[in-house]
This record gives sequence, C-alpha cells and structure tokens, in this order.
Amino acid sequence: MNKPLTPPVPTPAQPCPETAGHDAQRPGLSLNRRALLVGGGLVAAGWLARPLARSLFRASAPVFIARHQRYDGDLEQTIRAGLLATGLDPAALPGRKVLLKPNLVEPTRQAPHMTTHPAMIVAAAEVFRRFGATVVVGEAPGHVRDTEMALAESGLGEALDSAQLDFADLNYEETGWVANGGRASKLAGFHFPRSIVEADLVVSMPKLKTHHWVGLTVSMKNLYGVLPGVKYGWPKNVLHHAGIPQTVFDINASLPKRLAIVDGIVAMEGDGPIMGSPKPLGLVVIGTNPTAVDATCARIMGLDPARVGYLQLAADRLGPIVDGAIIQRGERWQATASPFTLLNRPHLQELRLDSSGILTS
Amino acid sequence: MRWVEAILDELSEATSWSYRLGAPPATEPAATAALALAGHGRREAAERACRWLVSLQSDDGTLGISATEPAPHWPTGMAMLAWRAIGGTADYETPMTKGLAWMLATRGETLPRSDDIGHDTTAIGWPWVEGTHAWVEPTAFNLLALKAVGHAGHPRARWAAGLLVDRLLPSGGCNYGNTVILGQTLRAHVEPTGLALAALAGEADPTGRIMRSMDYLSQTLDRSTTAASLAYGLMGLAAHGRVPIAASEWLASAAERTRRRGASPHRLALLALAALGTACPLFHGTDG
Repeated sequence: MNKPLTPPVPTPAQPCPETAGHDAQRPGLSLNRRALLVGGGLVAAGWLARPLARSLFRASAPVFIARHQRYDGDLEQTIRAGLLATGLDPAALPGRKVLLKPNLVEPTRQAPHMTTHPAMIVAAAEVFRRFGATVVVGEAPGHVRDTEMALAESGLGEALDSAQLDFADLNYEETGWVANGGRASKLAGFHFPRSIVEADLVVSMPKLKTHHWVGLTVSMKNLYGVLPGVKYGWPKNVLHHAGIPQTVFDINASLPKRLAIVDGIVAMEGDGPIMGSPKPLGLVVIGTNPTAVDATCARIMGLDPARVGYLQLAADRLGPIVDGAIIQRGERWQATASPFTLLNRPHLQELRLDSSGILTS
Repeated sequence: MRWVEAILDELSEATSWSYRLGAPPATEPAATAALALAGHGRREAAERACRWLVSLQSDDGTLGISATEPAPHWPTGMAMLAWRAIGGTADYETPMTKGLAWMLATRGETLPRSDDIGHDTTAIGWPWVEGTHAWVEPTAFNLLALKAVGHAGHPRARWAAGLLVDRLLPSGGCNYGNTVILGQTLRAHVEPTGLALAALAGEADPTGRIMRSMDYLSQTLDRSTTAASLAYGLMGLAAHGRVPIAASEWLASAAERTRRRGASPHRLALLALAALGTACPLFHGTDG
C-alpha cells in the first residue's frame, strides 16, 4: 500500500450531472459519460480507496524559505531540501503521478517575470523523478487560447523538450466533475481536466506576484489555471462571476493533493499579475500546505494574510495563516521580507501589514 | 502545396476531429476541419464533419464542446459557419435556423460602466459561457456566423461589430477582450486580433483601430509565429485583402513544426484553412 504523501484530502471526485458543473449552464441534462469514466478510473486507481492524507487539516504546517537563489543555481538541491523539510515522504512517491502546474497566464518575452521560470519547473521535475514519480507539466493558460504560443513565449516549451518532459494542455482536455469541497461560491463543482483528476499530487508552482484585484497571487490562486478554458472561457469568467476569493478557496478545497513550490527569485510587484514590474528577491518558498505557504508569502510581500479574502476563507479550514501556527524552516520570513509596491487603490492598500504587524502578525 | 494536400488527405480520412492526436473528437476541431475541407473543395469529407456536427446539436439549437460535454455552447456559431461553407443543400437549413435562434437569444452579461475598466461594459456581444460577460473570440465567431447566414445588418451583428472595435487597443491589436484595467493598457496578442479582424472585414471604423490592428499583425507575424496564432493572424489580414508575401512559406514551416510536436489535427486544419488566403470560407461564407 502506498504511503501518504501530503496533508489534506477533503473531497472525492465523483460522476455528476452536467448541470452541477456551472450553475450558469443548462439544467436537466443526462450524465456526462466522460465524467463517469474518469470518476470510475479514480476509484480503480485507488485514490478514493487509499487516501493520501494524514489528516484533513493540521493546526500547524511547516513552510521552507530559501534565499540567495538563482535560476542558474542548484535549484534541484533547494527544492529537494524544501520538500523534505516540510514533510514530503519520498518513499510514497515511486509510481505516483505528479503534475507540476506553473503559471503561464499570458506569457510574453517582454515580461519574463510574469511567468514561472522554466529552470524552476525542470528542477522540480528532476526532484520528483529521482523520487520515483512520473512527472507531467500541465497548464491551462488563462488569457490565451494558443497554448503553443504560451510555451514558446515563456521559454517553457524549449525547456521541456530538453528535459524530455511531457506537457498536458489543460485548456482542451476532456474533463471529470468534482463536487465543490469548499462551497464558498455558488458553484456546485468543478470540471477538472483528466490530467488533474488522475494526478496523485498537484504541485502548484506559481510566480510570486501582486494581483490588482485580490492583492497577491501565489500557490492557491495559481490553481485557477487547472480549469479548462473550453469549459470556463478565456478569461475564466465563470470563476470571476462566482467571486474570486470564493472560487480560489473552493478550487483548493476540491483538489486535495496539493503542495506548493513558489518562484520568488524574480517576483512581480506593482500592477500584477500581468503588467507589473520585476522585483528581484532570490527566494524559493516551499510547503506541503499551500495555505500556509501563501500566508507566509503575503508576509514577505508586506501584506496581512488575515486581510486577504481567499486566505480568510482558507484559514483553519485548509491550513493555518496565523504566524505562530506556521513552522518556519530554512530562513525566517522576517529576514526575507521586502514590501511589494502595490497600486495606489484602497482595496489593495488596506491589505498592508502595519508597522507593528510586520513583527507580530 | 504538398503540405496542404497532406493535411487535407488526413482530415478527409479521419473519422473524428480533435484538438490533439488520439484525443476524443471535439466540436471546434470538427468545424475547423469542415471549413478547411470545404474551402479546398473536399466536399464529401466536409459533409461528413458537418453531419457529425448536426448530430451534436440539441433541440434548443446549441452545440457543446464535444459529444460528451453538451455545455458550454460557444462552438455553436462555428458549426453554423461550417454548415454555411458547404452551401447548396437543404440538409443544414433547420440546424442553422435553430442555431440562429439560440444565437439571437443569447448575450453576454453587461456591467455598469466603471472607471476601472477601459472597455464599454454595457456593449452587447457573446460570452464563452452563458451568464458571464461578452469577450472577443465568441463575439467574433458569432458575428462571422451572422454574416454568413445573411444577417450582417441585424442589430446583434451591428452591436457585435461595435463591441469588437471597442475592444481593440488604441495602438492596435487586442487580447481576449480587456483593454485598460485600473489605468493600465494591456498587451495585444495575435490570435484574438486575427479573429477579430476577420469578423470586422468590411466594417467602417472612424477610430482607425482596425487599420492599426492590421499594422500590428503585419509587424508581428513571421516565420516563427506559432500555428494557431499564425493561422488566425493571416486570416485576419486576408479578410482585409492583405496577405504577406511570405505567408505560404510561414504556413508550411508552421505545419512542419506542428507535425514534429504532436501533429494536432486542429492546428493542422487551421493552417490549411489559412492557406486559402482571401478565399477563406471563415469570412467568405457571407450572404450579405
């Protein structure tokens, strides 16, 4: 029997009527045969039979921070150390399917600091391969229909070719339906691509960025990019209409097998997530609890996680956001904090940690 | 062009049309294949794809994204374009009538105007998914379909053209459909720009944005442009009578790369469609 990999496992995938996916879509249709097939496959694969979790939620979670990192440095060593320091058990990985999910929302050579650097993805892939896992890189770019263009502009396509890594174009895969494990939004469930449904572990690999609507986008918001454009649009407007904080929380609550590896080597500040400026930080942040990782990243950026909508929803349900409940490995966040420039908008400025908060939050 | 004939042979011999080789068939690739086959005179094969599209249509006139996923309905207009490209048969009159009825009854959600958002959020077009805002690509496909079935003068077509011009960036080009957000002008991308320009062929534009968008495409497209972007970019230019001298060479190069990278039937069909130049049925199926 496989050993558990990571913490929380909330909601099983299950077949469902088409109606349950988008409330905006038409009611009363017959069962989605593909969903049935995928759901059945999950049971056969043992996802339902052998939960990977040790517990639904742990009151504390470790987060690893490495600084002085470079894209041409030994990222493989850093990532391996971070995963081991935050509780990943390599003995559970042989034979498992690991999907690495970078952020390629709208790649352009004009702004390489918008997307996860290919060196991070290749290094993470190598770590999981050495642990014995089967690795695929998957993404559903949120703003562009031409995924080949996204791979070319980000440089990821060439890197994947060199590393002989497979890529799953999540925008166009057939889907399986998973009930909404969070229920913060009106959506009854999500249509996840086959590669996501069949993965034993989804590794969110975001770029550390500001976000002009919700403050920051890190590992939890990055998982918007597992949802297929063919079902949710370009942009994934179904989610926006259902509420960004609510759907960020819901998606994460519906995808149990997640961990986070954050590219903060050259981050983005200002008008993120698309038009912001590069912010060299040299950081890599890793954890098996994405909520704790994002809360830590918020503090590094000078934001109060308790004021960020989706972290408020996730707090004590998907993971801890209180500083005292996050066990720091590697560097302490206080030593790496570097407040990010935000647009001068009230809804963003109110997210900032005050001067005392930086020390105490 | 041998590379085009090879693609057409494959599309003709196929029993289904998909986004990637070996994947389940899907509506958009089938409609694209039908357009390419019809445009190149492979009528019998195009008919097969068109009949499959008819089999997907629900009683309410909609087509979903595949046989197993009957929603959302954004590919409906693309199927209508394919049926219209076949022409000369009554077999598709009823499906087109049903599709048109759905199209005219469907619109994107509008929003109150806001200083934070640069485009006209009250403009009426089509969404990817019912219940959400209107965006460039579904609006462009449905405007092309309305023109193809003789409704270029319908108020919905006029509103759609107005929406598309409004979504072009001041300096030319467009993205998925946002122009300025929180005071920041966003970037253009080739694929939506090409599709929008194809839909805007023949439209008056006192703002000059259409012309600047053509200039953007002319300056951006080259031999390295990826397949779908290249195809739509060239179709957008061709719709306005502008075909780059090197277009055939670029398309052949993209076809060769596409074959090396998994041979996506959908991308290959797009390249064959774009190879039709100014005779492309994407924007030449119009009745008026």
